[in-house]
Amino acid sequence: MLVIGAGGAGMRAAIEAAAAGARVAVVCKSLLGKAHTVMAEGGIAAALANVDPEDNWQVHFQDTMRGGQMINNWRMAELHARESPDRVYELETYGAIFDRTPDGRILQRAFGAHTYRRLCHVGDRTGLEMIRSLQDRIVQLGIEVHMEVTLTKLLKDSDRVIGAFGYNRIDGAFIAFRSKAVIIATGGWGRLYQVTSNSWEGTGDGVAMGFEAGAEVLDPEMVQFHPTGMVWPPGVRGILVTEAVRGEGGYLTNREGKRFMLEVDPKKKELSSRDVVARAIYKEVQAGRGTEHGGAYLDVRHLGAEKIKKKLPSMYEQFLRLADVDITKEPMEVAPTIHYAMGGLRVEAETGATTIPGLYAAGEAAAGLHGANRLGGNSLSDLLVFGRRAGAASAAYLRDVALGTIDERQVGDEQQLLLLPLVGDGKENPYLLQQELQQAMQDGAGLAREEKSLKACLDRVLELRQRSARIRVPGSRKYNPGWHTARDLRFMLTIAEAIVRAAIERRESRGAHWRLDYLEKDPALGRVNFIAYNDGGRVKLKTRPVPEMPPELATLFADAAPPPPASQPPAPRPPKPQPVRT
Amino acid sequence: MSTRSPIAEGRGAGSGSPIVLQVFRGDTDGGREQRFEVPSLEGMVVLDAVHYIQAHFANDLACRWNCKAAKCGSCSAEINGRPRLMCKTRVDEFVGQEIHVGPMRAFPLIKDLVTDVSWNYEVNKQIPGFTPAASEPVPYRMLPEDTERVYEYRKCIECFLCQDVCHVLRNHDDKSAYYGPRYMVRIAALEMHPLDTRKRTGLLHGKAGIGMCNITKCCQEVCPEHIKITDNAIIPLKERMATDVYDPVVRIARKINPFLGAPATGDWQEAKPSGAAGPQRFAVKDVVRLKTRGRRLARVGSVLPDGKLEVWVLHMNGKVQHWDGPKVVRTSDVANNYGPLDDVGIGAKLVEQYITEDHEAQHRE
Repeated sequence: MLVIGAGGAGMRAAIEAAAAGARVAVVCKSLLGKAHTVMAEGGIAAALANVDPEDNWQVHFQDTMRGGQMINNWRMAELHARESPDRVYELETYGAIFDRTPDGRILQRAFGAHTYRRLCHVGDRTGLEMIRSLQDRIVQLGIEVHMEVTLTKLLKDSDRVIGAFGYNRIDGAFIAFRSKAVIIATGGWGRLYQVTSNSWEGTGDGVAMGFEAGAEVLDPEMVQFHPTGMVWPPGVRGILVTEAVRGEGGYLTNREGKRFMLEVDPKKKELSSRDVVARAIYKEVQAGRGTEHGGAYLDVRHLGAEKIKKKLPSMYEQFLRLADVDITKEPMEVAPTIHYAMGGLRVEAETGATTIPGLYAAGEAAAGLHGANRLGGNSLSDLLVFGRRAGAASAAYLRDVALGTIDERQVGDEQQLLLLPLVGDGKENPYLLQQELQQAMQDGAGLAREEKSLKACLDRVLELRQRSARIRVPGSRKYNPGWHTARDLRFMLTIAEAIVRAAIERRESRGAHWRLDYLEKDPALGRVNFIAYNDGGRVKLKTRPVPEMPPELATLFADAAPPPPASQPPAPRPPKPQPVRT
Repeated sequence: MSTRSPIAEGRGAGSGSPIVLQVFRGDTDGGREQRFEVPSLEGMVVLDAVHYIQAHFANDLACRWNCKAAKCGSCSAEINGRPRLMCKTRVDEFVGQEIHVGPMRAFPLIKDLVTDVSWNYEVNKQIPGFTPAASEPVPYRMLPEDTERVYEYRKCIECFLCQDVCHVLRNHDDKSAYYGPRYMVRIAALEMHPLDTRKRTGLLHGKAGIGMCNITKCCQEVCPEHIKITDNAIIPLKERMATDVYDPVVRIARKINPFLGAPATGDWQEAKPSGAAGPQRFAVKDVVRLKTRGRRLARVGSVLPDGKLEVWVLHMNGKVQHWDGPKVVRTSDVANNYGPLDDVGIGAKLVEQYITEDHEAQHRE
């Protein structure tokens, strides 16, 4: 079996599949342990009820559904809320160590739109702890890892996915994998935008490959802006400032020193959901109350230097080093930055199976759990819960199928396409085209959208698609990032088109999708998800009804009033036994 | 590909005179520095400049990077001779200077700024992973005071700058003698994990080669995560290894927390010299003068249970040090013990100072 991507979801899937007896190969574009999961700072959401005993999976489920504006797949949200505690405990059996309560259980912190304190964390480097623990487990299990390999094409035998083809980044050699099942765990597409917290890897290639092979892309229009990215100096623009800053009690203020979130969301204040906070900052800046460099202030000085350095050490270091700002003495300047793709391949909740036999997806590359807006901390638990499920389901699937036969023609065509930028007589520069695309998406399909800007954006994307056929890069196939970017760009253009087309059609404001020309929610659109699919090489859209919740879960939303807020301080209580499923 | 940086957008460019970079270009067939001028911008880091070069002058310039926020440890390079992360090195540190950017030199070059670091991953596979007791009830209970000491080691982002600067790895073509600082940190994380049940002291003594470290602390100086690699990982491990491998009596005496028990400086392994050897005592980091082998300087790699010393003998090739070994010598073969290497001086400084001094002393004789 082949797992594409070695972030949290890919590694968790590989571990599960290997444990089930499958022979697994993991392929990643970077070195092992560098995946974007390391950037997750704040924590992993799981209703352990260690700090707030009132918490349980039902409340987590409700928070997730409400945060996603009810267009989530309820079954995924349910599985996620039920299983994430066990996945967290399991991670500790791989060697992870979360911050502790005084009596030795896992400590949990408050986070945006989570009713209770629910985020298990390690200071502000939770993602690193998670990726290292999974990486160690992979090494312990002796799972085969192919580092610095980019796969660009899923190979099919009739309607079934039977492998993948791509190249080794180091020497440019072509490489084909034959496998009974393929799991896409390639993350999101944050590189589509100019101001982003994502690394070069977030180009949507796995989802685009799946799309090209005929899988459906769900909710592409839902792209999350994280409210707090760095703004100044320019070189660091977009780098993430963890939500844990607000979770630990940071205030957002405008230039006049006013805590504007008190008015926007009097109950949750700074810890409202990400879409709400991002819009609030945007509006402050638009109203001329922004900071010098066009953001808001994020202030933690009242927490005291000691707590800041203990709970937010990498933020302290990041600002001191990159911005000359000592956050124990001065406020941070922050503004929204692209962070996460709620959309992705449409999968079956229980198994992660896409609409194509043999093809699975998990993590950010899969869609459905988060709906129109993801809650902070739900992504790390997503990776573990659905990574494990995809690994188990695909391992079960491959027992009943035989290896497919690779069609040389498919390989040959892709090889031609890959080589084009090195031989053609085109003149386009892949980096500059990528920058144009990022600019187009930022301008036209960013935080605030309207019909006119979206249509203009679509025109630019289609024009760039034409020009991308004329890319030419110097040098050989040996470790040539210009050549790598050329192919990445084609994936990005496919995803960009899906985003913009769906964003035009969703004529309402819902979650992360904010239409200036349709400021209200449309109940009719709240009952559908948009799906982009491949129609002979073109991006086409269709709608699909949002899956209907069974009555026993629907009753959780009967009373509009959310559950009471967390009691403070936490009442001491005897430890609660938490059985772990094995 | 520095699209996050407005310099690439033509906005805000030109705040100050251009930055001059000399970037290494080349591969296994050889290479040299190439000069580039990049518009400067407030707060710019070296990685921004490299991205600018990639986008505008050399599409095929090879470099690794991911997060651009000092969290992934991909963009390691040698900047003006010092191993650093490119994303964390501001160009305004080098006002009026050219910035030389080259690959890490302890690893085989692939192309431009990219080196083959696969050896590190191979080493990692040799370390037995976290091994809790099978009977340990899940969820785990671990007290904060027991877990906090492990966090420092787990901060490691695997940038391999410590491996790059470690002179044991850097100055020997053969990396088989020592796993390097990164893996001492990894072993420390496992050994100090409150629920781990495995002993790795045998590995440390043997294949991991902890005795090779002579505490020059270069690794902890370059660590971007400020892990006190030598002080908080290697020294406590040496202590643990010495007590486990050599002296059960000492182990009982130091039954208290090895962290608290570890002396600030001093002997990690006390030699038990055989009768004729005299009162000299040796520790792992000591620099000694051999009576034989041309009175060469050597440093103690480990003290063997029978009291003999395993030493690495210094040969100079110009200013480059080569330490050959390990060779086993009797303590009676050693003329002098200059004391611990970090008191003597670090790296090249040691050689310049002590060789000169010693030559003078020999001439006087």
